[in-house]
Amino acid sequence: MATVEFEGNSFTVDEDGFIDNFTSWNNSWVKYVKTQEGIDELTKEHWDVINVLQDYYKKNGIAPMVRILSKLTGFKLKHIYELFPSGPGKGACKMAGLPKPTGCV
Amino acid sequence: MSYWGFRKVMSVSAKALPKVLDDSIDKAADRLAADQISAVIERLLYNEGGARLKTYMETCAHCGLCSDACHHYLSNNKDPKFSPAGKVRQTIDLIIRKKGNVSIEFIKRACEIAFTECNLCRRCVLYCPFGIDVAYLMIFVRRICHQLGVVPKFIQDTAHSHSATFNQMWVKEDEWIDTLFWQEEEAREEIPGLRIPVDQECAEIFYSVIGPEPKFRAQLIYQAAVIMNVAGMSWTMTAKPGWDSSNMCMYTGDHEMTARLKKVHFEAALRLKTKRIVMGECGHAFRSVTDVGNRYLGWKAPPLPVVHAIEFYHELISNKRINIVQKFDKPVTFHDPCNIVRGGGLHELARGIIDKTCEHFVEMHPNREHNYCCNAGGGIINCGPPYTSKRVRSNRVKADQLRDAKSWGARTIIAPCHNCHGGLEDIIKFYQLDMDIKFFSDIIYGCMDKNHPLTTEAIKKY
Repeated sequence: MATVEFEGNSFTVDEDGFIDNFTSWNNSWVKYVKTQEGIDELTKEHWDVINVLQDYYKKNGIAPMVRILSKLTGFKLKHIYELFPSGPGKGACKMAGLPKPTGCV
Repeated sequence: MSYWGFRKVMSVSAKALPKVLDDSIDKAADRLAADQISAVIERLLYNEGGARLKTYMETCAHCGLCSDACHHYLSNNKDPKFSPAGKVRQTIDLIIRKKGNVSIEFIKRACEIAFTECNLCRRCVLYCPFGIDVAYLMIFVRRICHQLGVVPKFIQDTAHSHSATFNQMWVKEDEWIDTLFWQEEEAREEIPGLRIPVDQECAEIFYSVIGPEPKFRAQLIYQAAVIMNVAGMSWTMTAKPGWDSSNMCMYTGDHEMTARLKKVHFEAALRLKTKRIVMGECGHAFRSVTDVGNRYLGWKAPPLPVVHAIEFYHELISNKRINIVQKFDKPVTFHDPCNIVRGGGLHELARGIIDKTCEHFVEMHPNREHNYCCNAGGGIINCGPPYTSKRVRSNRVKADQLRDAKSWGARTIIAPCHNCHGGLEDIIKFYQLDMDIKFFSDIIYGCMDKNHPLTTEAIKKY
């Protein structure tokens, strides 16, 4: 597995760029993924999505469906894709420190 | 080339790629007892291999014509280890010669070859003078791995989801129905009166999708609903399991679960007394429903007609059920997915849709049934991050092919398959090709006349 150094932090990532361990997530990782995902500015709305993903993952051990994400943040589907251009499964999960979802994604 | 000559070439081949670790393979294989391996293999060779396996193995003349057909071989500096015959030689050929007495390390390597170095794309079958189905042979190796419990972790998780929920992404029944209602509500803001009919008996069309659509890409359900409503189709989706037409068990070698999944899918369509199944834009799901599932179930054919989105959209456009008001203006190229083009023959219909919906079309070369696989298919992308780098490096020829299409003007790739999207996205990113990828439904949704849904009177004319 590769290592990413960013702002004095070191993260072990898999080949799709997801961190290997949820517990090693921190704010610095979010800033790093922002540079990778082509997101101009991190807003409160990005953080809303990240918080919901992390809460759900801690309880259920899996990423929520985009429907749940929409319900808990109040954002429409289109807006979630505006916040995370590569989508909830790739961009948002990566930023929140979740593992890459399994399946045809 | 003689058998011995072939082996000599193989022994000097370079190690082109770094070794990847999948602890699921390692841990599972290390638990195996030696007699367990031979017992499983012997049983499968005897019960399931039979004449077909024997014929293929004894017919192959190692002529090497399959090699240049394989994107793994071409992308790895023509290393014979990656040629289709080479992969067969390293796996099932040795398994048969050794009568199943192979080591744990051999099984690990065979598992890696069968799951991550062959997409079951069947391009080599076109070039084999005897038409030997290498994909069948690789599936046979996967079948052995499955029965030994040695399967890459990520794809096995998907297969577990299939077993537990009958869909590939752990979507619960209430979440599925909720997603349909949610997309119905969002779409009603654009098309007043739009419905996504759930569990409506006697509808003409049973529309099925694959797991990633409700899980993350719900806009595809939205777009399909808009198209169905504007075209005035009689359609429904099921509230119960059976809505997911995908089938990763087909790729893990789990034939029993493959058959169960297809049975649930067919029965959902029959329970609602629908006339035909229309499937979303997915390649492997189409193969599993039209060709594989019925055979594993022991049925001669699917119990009702199955139509891929390409055929369906072509029909809607030709019958003028939907009208194109403004063609897509960026130059497009078309990626022919293996399972629906080489396996399903839908290439000309796809080009028919492009002709009606896009201003500029650039063919990539090779194309149609000779197109190179995206290298995500056959479950390779589903084997997950441990193999991403290898997967992308092993498809340099696809990057070259796309770069050529781009130099001829193409900017957008249309790929009517979820796996192809994932695979092509990774290739575009790694090789910095800067192109975008779309489904047909993206294009049609963007170009169609949404303001004049067909009235009941108008529909009667057709």
